[in-house]
Amino acid sequence: MSEEIYGMVASFKDTPSLYHAAEKVRDAGFKHWDTYSSFPIHGMPEAQGQARSKVPIFTFAGGLTGLTLGTTMVWYMNAFDYPLIVGGYPFFSPVFPFPVMYELTILLAAFGTLGGMFIMNLLPQHYNSLFNCAKFLEVSDNRLMIAIEAKDGQYDPIATKQFLESIGGFDIEEVKA
Amino acid sequence: MSDQKDIQKINSTGFFALVIGLVALACSLYGIFSGLESEDPARGFLSWLIGLSFWLSIALGLLFITQIWYVFHARWPTIIRRQCEHFLSVFPWLFLLFIPLFVIPQMIGDPGVLWKWLDGTNLLPGGQGIVEDDPLYQWKSIYLNSNAFITRAVIYFSVFIGLSYFLRKWSFDTDITGDIENTHKARRLSSVGLFLLATASTLAAIDWFKSLDYHWFSTMYGVWFFAASMRAALSAILIYCIIVSAKGYMKGTFKQAHRYDLGCMMLAFTIFWAYISFSQYFLIYNANIPEETYWYNIREHDGYGVKNSWWAISLLLIFAHFVIPFLLLLWYKTKVVVSRLIFVSVWILAFHLIDLYWNLIPGKVIDATATHGYYIRQFSVEIFDITAIIGIGGICIWSVCRSMLKAEPIPIKDPNILKSLNHSE
Repeated sequence: MSEEIYGMVASFKDTPSLYHAAEKVRDAGFKHWDTYSSFPIHGMPEAQGQARSKVPIFTFAGGLTGLTLGTTMVWYMNAFDYPLIVGGYPFFSPVFPFPVMYELTILLAAFGTLGGMFIMNLLPQHYNSLFNCAKFLEVSDNRLMIAIEAKDGQYDPIATKQFLESIGGFDIEEVKA
Repeated sequence: MSDQKDIQKINSTGFFALVIGLVALACSLYGIFSGLESEDPARGFLSWLIGLSFWLSIALGLLFITQIWYVFHARWPTIIRRQCEHFLSVFPWLFLLFIPLFVIPQMIGDPGVLWKWLDGTNLLPGGQGIVEDDPLYQWKSIYLNSNAFITRAVIYFSVFIGLSYFLRKWSFDTDITGDIENTHKARRLSSVGLFLLATASTLAAIDWFKSLDYHWFSTMYGVWFFAASMRAALSAILIYCIIVSAKGYMKGTFKQAHRYDLGCMMLAFTIFWAYISFSQYFLIYNANIPEETYWYNIREHDGYGVKNSWWAISLLLIFAHFVIPFLLLLWYKTKVVVSRLIFVSVWILAFHLIDLYWNLIPGKVIDATATHGYYIRQFSVEIFDITAIIGIGGICIWSVCRSMLKAEPIPIKDPNILKSLNHSE
């Protein structure tokens, strides 16, 4: 039974009540849950108890790879594989290949950011159970929602429903997986 | 207006800064005159110029950023803009402090002691005749001559003083009248003022700093000074905001989001400074023309391939003025944790000073006993450098304190004040 249920959604009447409800869900110790709105809400990551995004790490790794790649590429081509004197400059120096080095740094940092964003957002994702809920479609218009997933250890069809009611939720329903 | 205790604190800080400043300036003047007898009489003047350029770069950066914020209709920095405006009161004093650099050499009958081209009879280093007979000077003399130099200096300071006067006046007026038209006027002035200021500060950097070595060519120099000024200005205003808000002056209004955004701008201008400084080097390195490369050569070796003291300073600028602040500022925590921000701001200001040393101090000093007939002035921190920095800084801080008493701690009736107070990341 529980494998067929994705989780439970509850709607909230305005932004402050969603915000404070999120704080209560966080404090109740739920792990697999999220808030949904059609616009960004300042301070919501803190209210949900989320750590900062991990995407910068991908950016940094991408940038570092690009820098290393640019440096070794120019060194390999100009100083190792086919040593070539150009304009009286040394075969290799960090100065003249710098445009190559930093362009590759920027390029791969950008790829890292994009890829990191996809990975951290679990994209691409062609199916999401939340769309089984007709009311969820209104989130892109004016509905504010909290969804608690069934895979959360604390999830219980009855207790969770009571909990969502107690923090001000309405239109509470279970969503099929 | 701030409460009585604040006023007293500001008054006493200002008075203290003024006394320290005047004493230190007297020491610096003594340094200039006592240095005249030495083999390198320009060094005393250079100390003064270092002190002046350090504080001038901070003030100019703040004048830039104030106008940039107006032009972009930036709402979040409204409370920080008021702090910038206090700093903008220093330009008339900097003008007064600039005058000795020109007047003292005239008084002592050696007009070309600091800027060599101001005296056509000055000997060129290396026994190549005198300045007047130097073809490069003859070509540049239409721009680099005494009258044009004075006229331009007056124009530059009129631009700096004029822009800061009106921006301050209109902003302070809004505190009392709440007239929104003041903001519109400031915005219109800024859109013209940015062009005036960019032109004036570029040419000022060329006149006062680059022409110390008038042989050299670089079209990047004005942009370098802009980038360096912005870094110094952002660091200075961050330190100022953190200190005064810790003392209770802006408490509760200067928040994490403001620190974060100023930190982001510091990161951006750290990269920009590196980009400009490297581009200047890169273009000259690639073209490899002796008229240009010598400027970097004297900052690397003594002419025989033996590295001199500037070599270490050059590497320090790359790693300590760019790489370390860059990596530190990439971290989110560095941009929001107060102690880390203070650390990186002080770090940037310190190396900004080293950057100014590196740009202004090296030069060929005539010395008959040396092999080439000259030696290259090496890196050294003289006692009179420190007195000039403290002296001119004292006057600036006194001026800031005086200005703090004239207006509210934050622009309470500014149309954008609420956006700034509610600013979040």
